[in-house]
Amino acid sequence: MKGATLRFDEVVLENGLVVIGENNPRAATTAMGYLVHTGSRDETAAVAGVSHFLEHMLFKGNEEFSADDINRTFDELGADYNAYTSEERTVYYGSVVANRAGALLDVLTQLLRPSLRQSDFDMEKKVILEEIAMYQDRPARRLFEHANERYWGSHPLGNSVLGSPKSITELQRDDMQAYFDRRYSPGNVILAVAGNYDWDAVVEQAKAHAGRWPAFEAHRDYPPAEPFAGREALTDATLHRLHAAYYAPGVAAEDPARFAAALLASIIGADDGSRLYWELVDKGLADNASLSHEAQEGAGSFVGYVSTAPERAAEVLEAFQAVVRGVQDSGVTADEWRRAQLRTATGLTLRAETPMGRFMSFGTSYQTLGRYRSVADMVDEVMNTPLEAGLALLEGRPFDRDYLVTLGPA
Amino acid sequence: MPAELAPEGAIQELTLANGLRVVYAPMPWLPTLSATLSLPFGSATDPIGQEGSANVVHEWLQRGAGVLGSRAYSDALLDLGVRRGGGSGREAASLSAAFLESVAAPALELLASSVTQPHFAAGEFEASRELAVQELESLQDAPTQRLFEALQEQVFASPQRRSSFGTSAGLRALTPESVREDAARRLGPEGAILGLAGGGEWAELEEAVTRAFGSWSGGSVPVPPAELAPVGRHHVNAESSQVQIGLAYPSPAPGTDDMYVYLVALEVLSGSMGARLFTEVREKRGLVYSVSAFYRAVRGRGYTLGYAGTTSERAAETLDVFLAELRRLAEGVTAAELERARTGLLASIVMAGESSGSTAGRLANDLVLFGRPRTLTEIASHIEGVTLQGVNDYLAANPIPEPTVVTLGPKA
Repeated sequence: MKGATLRFDEVVLENGLVVIGENNPRAATTAMGYLVHTGSRDETAAVAGVSHFLEHMLFKGNEEFSADDINRTFDELGADYNAYTSEERTVYYGSVVANRAGALLDVLTQLLRPSLRQSDFDMEKKVILEEIAMYQDRPARRLFEHANERYWGSHPLGNSVLGSPKSITELQRDDMQAYFDRRYSPGNVILAVAGNYDWDAVVEQAKAHAGRWPAFEAHRDYPPAEPFAGREALTDATLHRLHAAYYAPGVAAEDPARFAAALLASIIGADDGSRLYWELVDKGLADNASLSHEAQEGAGSFVGYVSTAPERAAEVLEAFQAVVRGVQDSGVTADEWRRAQLRTATGLTLRAETPMGRFMSFGTSYQTLGRYRSVADMVDEVMNTPLEAGLALLEGRPFDRDYLVTLGPA
Repeated sequence: MPAELAPEGAIQELTLANGLRVVYAPMPWLPTLSATLSLPFGSATDPIGQEGSANVVHEWLQRGAGVLGSRAYSDALLDLGVRRGGGSGREAASLSAAFLESVAAPALELLASSVTQPHFAAGEFEASRELAVQELESLQDAPTQRLFEALQEQVFASPQRRSSFGTSAGLRALTPESVREDAARRLGPEGAILGLAGGGEWAELEEAVTRAFGSWSGGSVPVPPAELAPVGRHHVNAESSQVQIGLAYPSPAPGTDDMYVYLVALEVLSGSMGARLFTEVREKRGLVYSVSAFYRAVRGRGYTLGYAGTTSERAAETLDVFLAELRRLAEGVTAAELERARTGLLASIVMAGESSGSTAGRLANDLVLFGRPRTLTEIASHIEGVTLQGVNDYLAANPIPEPTVVTLGPKA
């Protein structure tokens, strides 16, 4: 079986819901979930944080299943399950031993038909406010909340996933219902299954339940991005370290240059063995200095982070910027490029060991690109991206238009 | 054997002449191989006055080995696509690597060379120490991690109480000579363990491992037996939005039959979003985003850590509900709770068994704590063997002891 091609399954139900699968008959487990093409970028300022709050509320159940029923059912299946919300999507997922796949699909499907009871809404609001308070105590997280909004400006990718204490406090249950009714269209949802499953049974089950959800149009805006460039300094006297966030224009998720952008980011700022690592972390000047590339629909960005001693801030930030901008002048070498390709390809292969790893990867990739990519496809795409593609990106000098913001004691 | 567990390949074991123990779980369907090298030194055996030395040894030994300087060593790993990990703890440090099994021999050779022929070059010392100092300082901005450091300091009476980060004074006192001496004293193969899991042929791996690690020599320092500290309550002042609440109490020792019974009971308490803690603290009362209790073990000792984070005005109620749930365990669990807990634990065993990284880590950990590797079938049969009467008799006879409580946050 090693390296064997896994079977890809795909069907579009009459109401527009797409069901996809990657079948691995030797897997012991099955991972699956609903990927809803909605997130903070689809929110208005008045309901900031509603996508994420709604994600919590889906676990509160409906007329058939109470919140207790839902949690208990997941537990009876021994499911490893959760959900997450990003700017782009909201994903509800779980993994079980393969013979319980059908029952897992049942309970996940129930989640997607929530009642949004007022009493549950009021209780869960407290939990969301605690979650926001928790992130307030994490300076890097707090910094990126600010930086993301500032960098993207009025572009929807600048919307906060969590929302603010004010927007959450003021949010009403009916606002959430209206958002659900506008966004949770079956045409906006993918059901993805990975690992060991019976495709006919999955399709039959999906048709019987999710296939009956009423269809309607759900639209997403893709306005042009006008990212912010410049420098800012935020202070908080209670902090001990200087935290810095770095942004520069990248490429969109659907842009073929995204592989080159990801490889460039890896060369510049992977956790070890990258240019930033050698210049800052290896020398003991910063305990963290990294850069990655985030490709989102319609727009992308290079995003970096530095943590250092406040008294060294000027020196470290200058070095950080010099490394990143310097790559535009000196380029990257063929050795660096090949190493970044190998690092990325091995990472993809390792993540593919488990059905859950595959679910996370092939589901989101299908949602963004509208087509299936096997692990072998993804590895090929990375290995076949030429150095010239990276150099071409650097010719556009993206790091000249960067945004750097610090958060520290002074 | 539970029906859902796939037949396992036999776990292979080998002890090299120098004392290194090697254990391998074949996962023949995988194109990948993961390795975890557990090194039996940590902050518990740091020399007095040099707290943090183990952490600096761990950082420094990765900066050049054999014929390769720091940069060349790192590049050689990247040339093979090796993904590195690891860390430095209280009783042990680890180096881990994951790679395609087709490069297993050269990857293991590189991994080994950092312990068999580390450079410990003077030019790399200051940066290694400085990085450790910075990590210690970063802890100040991470209240949850800080709480766990403060909590574990209260858990142990023995040197396991010392933070793996070291202390500012201890790190400042280190010199290249002192750390080299320390490494000579305890960076040896005796007590070290190499856990391997993934694709590959055992005969080839055996040869590669023997070649790579066979020349390893060096001293070892036994970890003192862990002793738990008396119960207490402590508060650490910090300016934060939330109060961090930590609890700790002794639990069955690793490898005992009671451990499995207790793990099932703990699953009822905190194994999932349907478990008691999550239901009572978050779902019914909305007091927290995060609440949990989990089992930890060092050699010969088990203990449980609990965590909740909440805003100041709700901290007292959160702690009360948490403590009430700990006490309520003595009344026993229901048949339905037991069934869900066993199912959850068994499923997590199956899931972890699909990942080479978690399997390699588990094998190494088993050798440290149990002295031998456990098969998934063995773990599963222990879990399946826990009966309702068994767990309830255990809980009635062993009520959860009064925990040590540490809070971190604004002045109470």
